[in-house]
Amino acid sequence: MTLDDIARELELVELVPPNEVERAAEVTRGYASDLLSDVLAHAPSGGLLVTLQVHLNVIAVAGHAELAAVVFAGGRRPDDDVVAKAAEEGLALYGCAADTFEIAGRLYALGVKGSRA
Amino acid sequence: MRLCFADLHVHTALSPCADDEMTPPRIVARAREEGLAMIAVCDHNTTGNTAAVQEAAARAAALDAAAADGLAVVAGMEVTSAEECHVVGLFPDAAAADAAGAEVAGLLPQAGEGYAGFFGEQHLLAADGTRRGAEPAALATATPLDVGAVVALVHRHGGLAVAAHVDRHSFGVVGQLGVFPAEAGFDAVEVSRHVSAASPKLAEYAAFGLPLLRSSDSHTLDTLGSARTALRVAAPTFAELALALRGAKGRSVTIA
Repeated sequence: MTLDDIARELELVELVPPNEVERAAEVTRGYASDLLSDVLAHAPSGGLLVTLQVHLNVIAVAGHAELAAVVFAGGRRPDDDVVAKAAEEGLALYGCAADTFEIAGRLYALGVKGSRA
Repeated sequence: MRLCFADLHVHTALSPCADDEMTPPRIVARAREEGLAMIAVCDHNTTGNTAAVQEAAARAAALDAAAADGLAVVAGMEVTSAEECHVVGLFPDAAAADAAGAEVAGLLPQAGEGYAGFFGEQHLLAADGTRRGAEPAALATATPLDVGAVVALVHRHGGLAVAAHVDRHSFGVVGQLGVFPAEAGFDAVEVSRHVSAASPKLAEYAAFGLPLLRSSDSHTLDTLGSARTALRVAAPTFAELALALRGAKGRSVTIA
């Protein structure tokens, strides 16, 4: 399942678009957490992060953890400075009205597994 | 200049998670027993008992003419940010703290039926320790303000903003946000009693480039003063503390 497929299937709102290479990249792992120290320690490289956290540090943590993209759950939207930082760093951001549990369930149904599965 | 000890993070029985024994007279008595020159009262998202503890300290000093000094009680508040980071605000006086507290109160939901059963009682107390009533706001809740906005609120009321218990996984800024938010504008970084004065972890926290405080975050009397900061100041006052945090005019803070 590519990042683009996932975005389409889950009807994600594109906040910072991925580039063409990222769009076509296979995403096989995901992580859901709101504790950024936990994300830093455990999120799988190349994976998708589902989080409620919209703080600027999400971008730094996602970069450090080499995540493919971040999905903000529950209709949460980051401030403009966070979006700008992600664009600068080349990190794809999406918004989704569904809650974290729902998003993770839909991802799992699409074949995206957790970090240790 | 003199060296004195401060425990700049103490809860009263107003905090839902704090013990009922945390009354103004008992906190003051315990702080004096511990030889502290200064404490800061920092309840969760409220300043409702700070003036009462200040009054209790003044009464204790008046009763004990033999004591060299009274206990200085800084009016503080531990604000929960939207990211569930705890930020300690230390204010110049109770009026400034209460103004900040009123802003925070306006952002919290009401406690409602059954709240105390889950989170604990929120006792508003008088200086003699008697109960004045119950705080109606749900104090164990996050405000909608992000960390930077909480720091700005504290500053707007003339306060000092401290990143509370950075060593803790829960509710510390590093635990919640992965890395220290340098742009938030904190004035100091607090470590908990679980980090000893000799801990190698201190170098990691010092690297944030801010003065370090060590405070007990006590919710029970027995832990009050169990972590402390040594102040080199002319007198234990808020103004001197502010100078000490900046390392100005020969004032300083060190972890004790």
